[in-house]
Amino acid sequence: MAKQLDQNDVLLEVKNLKKHFISRHGLMGQHTTTVQAVDGVSFKILRGETLGLVGESGCGKSTTGRTIIRLYDVTSGEIIFDGVDISRIKQREMRQYRKKIQMIFQDPYASLNSRMTVGDIIGEPIDIHNIAKGEERQKIIWNLLERVGLNKEHANRYPHEFSGGQRQRIGIARALAVSPKFIICDEPISALDVSIQAQVVNMLQDLQNELGLTYLFIAHDLSMVKHISDRIGVMYLGKLVELANADELYDSPNHPYTQALLSAIPVPDPDATKQGQRIVLEGDVPSPINPPSGCHFRTRCRYAMDICKEVEPEFLEISPNHFSACHLNTIEK
Amino acid sequence: MSEQVISKDLWEAIPKENKDAEIISRPSMTYWQDAWRRLKKNKLSMVGLLFIVFMVLTAIVGPYVISHDYSTQELTLANIPPSMEIYQVDEDTYFYMHSEYKLFDVTKDGVLVEKIKEIENDMTNRRRVYNIDGNEVVLDYSYAVKKAEDNPEGIKFKLLLNGEEIKPFDKVHNKTYVFGTDALGRDMLARVIYGARISLLIALVATLVNFFIGVLYGGISGYFGGQVDNVMMRIVDIINVIPLLLYVILLSVIIGSGLKSIIIALGSVYWVGMARIVRGQVLSLKEQEYVLSARTIGASSMRIMIRHLIPNAMGPIIVSMAMLIPSAIFTEAFLSFIGLGVSAPLASWGTLANDALGGLRSYPYQLFVPSIAISLTMLAFNFLGDGLRDALDPRLRK
Repeated sequence: MAKQLDQNDVLLEVKNLKKHFISRHGLMGQHTTTVQAVDGVSFKILRGETLGLVGESGCGKSTTGRTIIRLYDVTSGEIIFDGVDISRIKQREMRQYRKKIQMIFQDPYASLNSRMTVGDIIGEPIDIHNIAKGEERQKIIWNLLERVGLNKEHANRYPHEFSGGQRQRIGIARALAVSPKFIICDEPISALDVSIQAQVVNMLQDLQNELGLTYLFIAHDLSMVKHISDRIGVMYLGKLVELANADELYDSPNHPYTQALLSAIPVPDPDATKQGQRIVLEGDVPSPINPPSGCHFRTRCRYAMDICKEVEPEFLEISPNHFSACHLNTIEK
Repeated sequence: MSEQVISKDLWEAIPKENKDAEIISRPSMTYWQDAWRRLKKNKLSMVGLLFIVFMVLTAIVGPYVISHDYSTQELTLANIPPSMEIYQVDEDTYFYMHSEYKLFDVTKDGVLVEKIKEIENDMTNRRRVYNIDGNEVVLDYSYAVKKAEDNPEGIKFKLLLNGEEIKPFDKVHNKTYVFGTDALGRDMLARVIYGARISLLIALVATLVNFFIGVLYGGISGYFGGQVDNVMMRIVDIINVIPLLLYVILLSVIIGSGLKSIIIALGSVYWVGMARIVRGQVLSLKEQEYVLSARTIGASSMRIMIRHLIPNAMGPIIVSMAMLIPSAIFTEAFLSFIGLGVSAPLASWGTLANDALGGLRSYPYQLFVPSIAISLTMLAFNFLGDGLRDALDPRLRK
């Protein structure tokens, strides 16, 4: 997919975003533990672009998405949307941006209120932002339902009557109800059957082409991410370790973690698997409460050196539009 | 193995209209319709529900239908039981002998006419003489105080009609006072129905208080969480540790005992359990993705609470309501029983039970009537609550 994107037309820029969760224990809350869920993430998303964000469970992908839409308060850093920093504005001022930024959720069973009809679910953003009333509102809802491949008769039904894929489409219709510019897709397909995943992803792409949407696509399924994304960022333990164009990332992954992730994609060829190109990572992801010093990945990295323990690698542009945070890049030169 | 070639013209594209046609043929059913369907299958709770409906209707229209007033005293007709042993005098003259050795004129099918005045009352020989339609009826109740050897059969009295001993003719139901009368000759049925009114009033107060204060308090506490939750729940803890009885006694001192102080006492503390339940529900529900989604849309906290959180917590709310109502009714009955409740001539089930204690050995029906009313009502609410819990929580379904 060759989209013509203006390299200077940045819709969203995230600068050194941090989100730490502090939990208090003890009688008066005198002891605290800090979970560094997102710890200094920076990236830009161009208008009309899809940025994929991958990483294993607990690496902070979803937290990044939820922090951008201000479901969580930002610990530090900036979120510049359309030229305005929305990381510190009050929830009341945030309301106008809620029309421009929307989110699609992971679990199609939990993301729809089971006590509301589909029409009311999709109509809720219309009501909140006073977009339309009465017959006009009804028409918008019907249009949205048809746009996501459902019938207008479905408006009077309840979510539990729908399948997972249909529910996810209702979720998408709700996100589209306010005609947003930017949609954060928080693992929208990981709870769906493989056959339905393709339907939903293709629909998201069609919608992007028709409406000129920009996506932040969070997932852990690498092949699906490659299919939909223009660029892909790889996260590990709250940090972005590599960011590159989708094809380049797959063809020449730079960071050892990306290499390991990519080698784990199953290849539909028994012989290829036997030849053993898989890099198996040892151990578990360290706890984000107490991450390793220096490079967060060093405890599981097979190239780990002494410097990795002491110095945190910088996120450098190793080739045009290909960023990576690894000491191997600086030492070799 | 040869590859089979399928010619291209065998393939035909589905027209676009049909491609995404997703039809649901199952009839649309809301959560409540589904719950009602499940509840209907539970016989015990349907019986409970019917009983509650019956009781509510009786309490509302009963006083207008029955012929007796709850407060009118008929001292000559005191302590008449619901079931009477009658004696025959002649073809259509019957009388009932009360256990206080008084005779009453009754019809054959149990309608109480009046008390029969004796023509002679010999209190030293324990003998009363009556004249019923020209027949002489002698009631000799001296046997009750005779020694065992003089009274080998252990009888208490003898009734002589024109000199001949007569035995009970029949046992009939009291048609005039279906549940009998109390020590002041007031109709028990009317009093029990008035008691039901008070119990239902208490149930209504408990429901309203639970719903408005309990649900809102718990909802706010759970939704905002953190310090707000901490402070609000500690207040709940404090209210919870002070016994209800103490509240009522203190309130009675200030505003006088009666229904008002019970209602205020129940109203001020009865929402505590509900607040806890709702808080727990909201704490878990607010992390659900549909709540996050409502927040990303820009919904206000109030809207999230009313449109999303409370409707989804409605199942447990209704179930605990159905369980709290009987305990409120029982609390009122208990407080009335120990004398902190409504004052005469108003009747509550608790005061009725208390009034019956004096004549318990002679007139146990006076205690049975209100006790059975309390027991049946509590059972009905509990059965309904059990059924609702099963119907509203599909996870508990068999």
